[in-house]
Amino acid sequence: MASQKRIGKELSELTASPPEGISVELADEADLFKWKVFMNGPEGSPYEGGKFLVNLTLPNEYPFKPPTVSFGTKIYHPNVTNDEKGSMCLGMLRADEWKPSSKIAAVLEFARQLLLEPMPDDAVEGRIAEQYKSDRKRYDEIAREWTRKWAMSGQ
Amino acid sequence: MSTSTTTAPTSLSEAPRPGRLRRFSQLRAYTQTLSSSTSSGHRSRNSLSSRVPWLSPSSSGPESSTRPAGNSTAAEVLESDEPALSRYTSAPTAGAFHGLSIDTQTSSAESSRSTPPNEPASRSSNVMARLRSASAVQGRPPRTTALASTTTPDAPTSASETTSAATAISTSATTTTSPTPANQKATIRFFPHQDSLQSSRPSLPFTPIARTLPSDGSVIRVGRYSERDGVPVPNPSEPSDAPVGFKSKVVSRKHCEFSYKGGQWHIKDVGSSSGTFLNHMRLSQPNMVSRSYPIKDGDIVQLGIDFRGGEEMIFRCVRIRIECNRSWQQQPNEFNKNTESLIKNLGKGDGANYSGCRECSICLGSVLRPYQCLFMAACAHVWHYKCISRLLHSPEYPMFQCPNCRAFTDLSAEVDDTPDVLEAKTEDTTEGALPAGESTASHAETQPAAASPSVPATGEQQQGRTSLEPHTEEPDIATDVENLHLQDEDDRNSASGSGNEAEDDRNVDSAGPSTSNDDLARSATVSVTGFQPTQPVNVPLSRSPRLRADTPAETSDDNPLTPRNDMGPLAFDGRAGMRSE
Repeated sequence: MASQKRIGKELSELTASPPEGISVELADEADLFKWKVFMNGPEGSPYEGGKFLVNLTLPNEYPFKPPTVSFGTKIYHPNVTNDEKGSMCLGMLRADEWKPSSKIAAVLEFARQLLLEPMPDDAVEGRIAEQYKSDRKRYDEIAREWTRKWAMSGQ
Repeated sequence: MSTSTTTAPTSLSEAPRPGRLRRFSQLRAYTQTLSSSTSSGHRSRNSLSSRVPWLSPSSSGPESSTRPAGNSTAAEVLESDEPALSRYTSAPTAGAFHGLSIDTQTSSAESSRSTPPNEPASRSSNVMARLRSASAVQGRPPRTTALASTTTPDAPTSASETTSAATAISTSATTTTSPTPANQKATIRFFPHQDSLQSSRPSLPFTPIARTLPSDGSVIRVGRYSERDGVPVPNPSEPSDAPVGFKSKVVSRKHCEFSYKGGQWHIKDVGSSSGTFLNHMRLSQPNMVSRSYPIKDGDIVQLGIDFRGGEEMIFRCVRIRIECNRSWQQQPNEFNKNTESLIKNLGKGDGANYSGCRECSICLGSVLRPYQCLFMAACAHVWHYKCISRLLHSPEYPMFQCPNCRAFTDLSAEVDDTPDVLEAKTEDTTEGALPAGESTASHAETQPAAASPSVPATGEQQQGRTSLEPHTEEPDIATDVENLHLQDEDDRNSASGSGNEAEDDRNVDSAGPSTSNDDLARSATVSVTGFQPTQPVNVPLSRSPRLRADTPAETSDDNPLTPRNDMGPLAFDGRAGMRSE
């Protein structure tokens, strides 16, 4: 299958030379379409020091359909839903924005960049976005606390 | 791909911006410098321009390739852009190319003659990604001579590290000689757009419409189709401002107008009753004239609103996707020239240099393997046919949107078989720019038949050796394939530094079949070991121009009567010289 070939290629590329602060593995060795991505909170963000699990699911039609990205670790972020799903809203993953030439590496980079600089205008958690815009200090505080609570527990 | 830079550089060069914008540009810079595909940068650019509407005029303004000369405002805009642009082009380009050159150099250095056919995926694709971003930057339209001159100092110097001196020269030559604003006109194209987001009703289907303004002040009027206007020509070959008509009752007779001012396309509602919508925003009240709104590539313009549910075709609204400021893409530029060389060198293994267009963005595999079906869109992006076929045979057919640069192609468009004046011109200059006037001369003297398909064996061989890379004579495929193998022979010989005798033997061998017919030649060459790309990356390319430029002794080699045995050592010398530089 063409999609498997490409996914395999991207996977080996990503494992061979992972982008900064990102490591990938298959959630299940037999299933190329489910990835576990570990993302280190970027320096200078309130998520620094945390290690976040990101679940990347690739559709069968990949690369013609975009992958979906969700946080397995609870995170206080305007662009990540604050529920057990942890869905992340990435503009480039919207069906009409997605381009087959985009690679997973780019998606992950983008997701990590979003940790560094949230997009409150594109938020799924309106309350957090509001806080991010109006009371940045408080937001930083809570985000740091959540990071300590959820993203560092394993260490 | 190169499209992604249309707006990116400009917005990048706008130095400090507050808040989100800064973040966007940072993000873009970030993603672009990374070896990930430029598409991420592209995407963020998209969102940038789509979400920050006030940025769009400035970002699409200066990129108008179509500004006529003598327009003083245009010149001013350009001048103000120039430093920023050059800043942009110099920094990342050099960086990208630098990284690339290191990569290729190491690879060519370390790759012995037995480089595996598949380079390690990670490395090659890294190179590719970088190349792609580099070529994306460089692929910027040579819109004006001013811009061209700013880019050229960067381009050739950095390129010469990776490619060959002669290629670099030819690039610079073509860059400077590529179309001046004088022969560029403002072009706009309208494509039917179906709103995919909401499960909305289909809009009025229409054939894609292209218009090139005959003069700067002309206006394209859009309204309801009327018999009085005569049968509209969707795609006139000559510049025309013929009105555009749609067969829909929700379109007013005088609905809206497109104009081109100061290097920027604008739309204006001229008092339509059911409204003109630019990206879902209504431009004016019913029957009111709106002000001019700048539009950019990819904008959606809707004329009118569905009436009676739009069940009948005649009551459907018209949704137009705008394509403008893309004319640079239809002219010779860095990227599509690379693609041209890809096509010409197809089957030569990894030997030739394609600067960024060797990867199929769907499967991330190489498009360079011979004997596989490829598809090239009008924007010069190339994929495996199998990979792209899904997007070709989509419900939108005959519209095809490039997954790399989002340019639209009308797959049902008539074949353009007009002789390409521009191309011929640039090729001339390419030839002339090559330091070796002698190679051209020698061609003329010793192998007058070189241009014709039925070339005598020796002539072909010479061609394979001397004019490997800019095939100005457009040889047919068989010749290409032969060149490939002859070239491989040379490589093997020169790489091994083997004696003259051995080389001579091989040359005779390989020259033998090429005298016969094409089929034989092809089948004969298939068995040649050189078919697996055993030669180091880039080497043949960097060698051939060197030969042309620096070894006048080669002219003797061009003589069909003399044996061809002093080629190997010379080739070796030339290449070594290239490498040590």
